[in-house]
Amino acid sequence: MRPLAILALVMALASCASDRVALLGPEAPGGSAGAVAVLDPATGAERGQLAEANTEAVLGGGQIRTRPLTRHYDALLAAMPPPAEVFTLYFVEGTTQLAPESAATFEALRGAITPTSDVQITGHTDTTGDPAANDALSLARASEVRAALVQQGLPVANARVTGRGQRELKVPTGPGVSEPANRRVEVIVR
Amino acid sequence: MRGPIIAALLMAAALSTTAAAAGQIGRIKSVAGAASLVRGKTVTRAAPGQLLQVSDVLKTGPDGRIGVTFVDNSRFALGPNTTIALSTFEFDDTTHAGQFLTTLNRGSLAVVTGQIAKENKDAMRVRTPTSVLAARGTRFVAQVR
Repeated sequence: MRPLAILALVMALASCASDRVALLGPEAPGGSAGAVAVLDPATGAERGQLAEANTEAVLGGGQIRTRPLTRHYDALLAAMPPPAEVFTLYFVEGTTQLAPESAATFEALRGAITPTSDVQITGHTDTTGDPAANDALSLARASEVRAALVQQGLPVANARVTGRGQRELKVPTGPGVSEPANRRVEVIVR
Repeated sequence: MRGPIIAALLMAAALSTTAAAAGQIGRIKSVAGAASLVRGKTVTRAAPGQLLQVSDVLKTGPDGRIGVTFVDNSRFALGPNTTIALSTFEFDDTTHAGQFLTTLNRGSLAVVTGQIAKENKDAMRVRTPTSVLAARGTRFVAQVR
């Protein structure tokens, strides 16, 4: 009985001693490492923070002390999905017709979508014409892209399709300006 | 008398459909080994392509791993013997306002933050048994043994 009780105590001590957090370097070279703050769960007070890449800290009740990483996380990070890809397709002025130079991008988009992809399609216009009509045109462009992908047999029937009109100009312009870079549909593939 | 009731029912149905569509917060991208998705009282085997909702729980066995993407572009990797709950997730994809709280009960969780952490200070959080971690735009690992 007694050895079991000691074993249980050792296991309990081991289990409460090893909450930890590690701040890794940026995923892509040149990015910022950012930071992770450690907060008290009851009060929200900040106990400390990790602000340097490749440092770790043991989490407990007290002050946070950081130190260099003592282990690596390669096996865990191998399960991390790749970052989302963004494809930008351009359109002929005032239409839902794809600009000829975007044909290659459309092909690349086709190749990137798999049955487990999460796809988000957002249409935009330039500032020529009426803003309300541009809302409709941007949505029509996004819907056209989805229809073209569905026609290719790709599983995007449930993709999120939105039209942002002229609210999010890629190249800022005044009203009534024809700007090819703004007549676009952005497709995010996760 | 009957007309308005039917109209109200139809409206309720329409609202719930919208809520269901808006309730999709992410998707399982990869699964290795034993892994499950717990939704309420229903336990299913985790599989790539599965859509996730708030309050879903993900569990892995001794050889299990799961990769997840979220609609704000956050990404997770779960290691073996891990249990997490997607406790809170709110995201406005126009303004990028939102908040995201994950509860890590045990195991290991690697996080790459997305738009929620970028646009809202301390809105991307991971709760462990002893602490709350607030991500300020970063890639990190939390472990609970």
